Amino acid sequence: MSGADLSVQVGTLTLKNPVLTASGTFGYALEYDDFFDVTELGGICTKGLSLLPRAGNRPDRIAETAAGMLNAIGLANVGVEAFCTEKLPKLRQRGVTVIANIFATTIPDFVTLAERLDREEGVAAVELNVSCPNVDKGGLEFGVDPGAAGRVTAAVRKATKLPVWVKMSPEAGDLRGVGIACQEAGADALTAINTIRGLSVDVRTWKPRIANRTGGLSGPALKPIALRMVWELARAVNIPVIGIGGVATADDVIEFMLAGATAVQVGTASFADPLAAKKALDGLASYCGERGIAARDLIGKMAAA
Amino acid sequence: MSETSAGGRALHRMLLHRRDSIGSAYQILTFESETPIEVAAGQFAMVRSETWGHAPLLPRPMSLLTGGHRPSILIKVVGEGTRRMAVSSSGEPFLLLAPLGKPWSAVPEGHRPVLVAGGVGVAPLLFLARELLARGGLRPLVLYGGRTAADLPLDRDLSAVAELRVATEDGSRGEKGRVTALLAAALSEAGGQSDPVKVYTCGPQAMMAAVAGICADRGVLCEVSLETPMACGYGVCLGCPVARSAGGFLYACTEGPCIDAAAIDWGRGDGAAVVPAAALIAGGKVGA
Repeated sequence: MSGADLSVQVGTLTLKNPVLTASGTFGYALEYDDFFDVTELGGICTKGLSLLPRAGNRPDRIAETAAGMLNAIGLANVGVEAFCTEKLPKLRQRGVTVIANIFATTIPDFVTLAERLDREEGVAAVELNVSCPNVDKGGLEFGVDPGAAGRVTAAVRKATKLPVWVKMSPEAGDLRGVGIACQEAGADALTAINTIRGLSVDVRTWKPRIANRTGGLSGPALKPIALRMVWELARAVNIPVIGIGGVATADDVIEFMLAGATAVQVGTASFADPLAAKKALDGLASYCGERGIAARDLIGKMAAA
Repeated sequence: MSETSAGGRALHRMLLHRRDSIGSAYQILTFESETPIEVAAGQFAMVRSETWGHAPLLPRPMSLLTGGHRPSILIKVVGEGTRRMAVSSSGEPFLLLAPLGKPWSAVPEGHRPVLVAGGVGVAPLLFLARELLARGGLRPLVLYGGRTAADLPLDRDLSAVAELRVATEDGSRGEKGRVTALLAAALSEAGGQSDPVKVYTCGPQAMMAAVAGICADRGVLCEVSLETPMACGYGVCLGCPVARSAGGFLYACTEGPCIDAAAIDWGRGDGAAVVPAAALIAGGKVGA
């Protein structure tokens, strides 16, 4: 790796580089031990954690679509307690920068989750999932309404000393309004975007291809929309925006940063190639090294048309 | 979930060595690997051509027919991924993430293995039959079913290492009817307590459910190789849940694909009900 300075500042948190992995696409990071040293990454976002373990939706949960995929996993996860006792100690020992993604259906439960994680060493930030499209209750409602998004952010802000990131829904009619509300409520950063709800139907059986009927669209198909939203959001708020949506390569990372992202999350690409995030990071290092620039020099530097 | 899966898995870049057609519907893709892939019978690979770009996006889970320096898979075209594989050329670069998942478990002491195959489900069972012969000098009984005589790929390879009995739904080869009838007959021949059998099965979901049911009724051990859609193959996408008999779900990629049939809730039908039948029959392990 070249000597370029890749570090970026997300509020009070310094990340060694801007390449993170997205919640729900990287497990609890321990699954990658066979593939590469995940401490090289800027950080990892855990699978969405809830107060109690969740089994998730019935199958089928995934379906591939053109240059993308739909998923309706239903936030299957081990629960915050098992995460803290079984996963986090190993991540802490390895020195992984851990962003704990949390999910709840009520504000008090979000608060309880944040308080629980606040007691643990080795959590760098919490990311509020207020934008999951695949659960009956509590997913999208918080994320599409500026008032509700602000209330949940403010409540979590009071409950923890950890940096608070809020994951934006692309389905918010007023994305900038939601982002500004979160910023005013004390969010340290905004993650944009979560998946967009889609549908795919099997023409042989006439059934939806996933049991939940609709699922969240991710992958390269999402990227231009995500870029546009990151660009709009970054100009509307003063806090860092973490770009996500179809990031698979170093070029994608650079594109998101030029559009205004301070860091990025690699998601679905890790399914196709478990080394995708590392390859993107190595490519970013070469790009910056060759140009004699620091990664942070890219942020928001998209030129005039 | 990596704790529960076999170690040594890695992403291997390798070139397609050759592509052989078996009749009009099936093909074997054989790759050329610089480093030998240590595979146990029943394990699988996530397979993707580097030429695919963004579409198809995801690798395809495929049971390995062989490992070592010449890993191979058996395919039938069911969707875009297998369609592209079926027209791939020698020298085309592929990425294989392997070996993945739980292999077939050993034949319990004193038991006689009976293998029940349907369609491309034959791949991990031919692998197993070869291992049983090579390591234990055992020629297992293999019961093999298909719709027609054209749906019995690798039958001659099976004959070379096993005692093969065949059934086709149209009667064009072997017994007319389903492979489950062959199984019921074979189990009736077996001498019960004094001649215990262990069944290994892979094929369409409905076939495996029927095989599991027959075995459960007769108190015969049965292991299945699960087929589900799958995005990653190593326990993070959580896209491959299968209803667990004890409630909740297990994940086919890390807790399977080879697993005790009694661990599965075949009756709940959550998975079977929504998986398109054509995808199941065509196998690989994913319907595209």
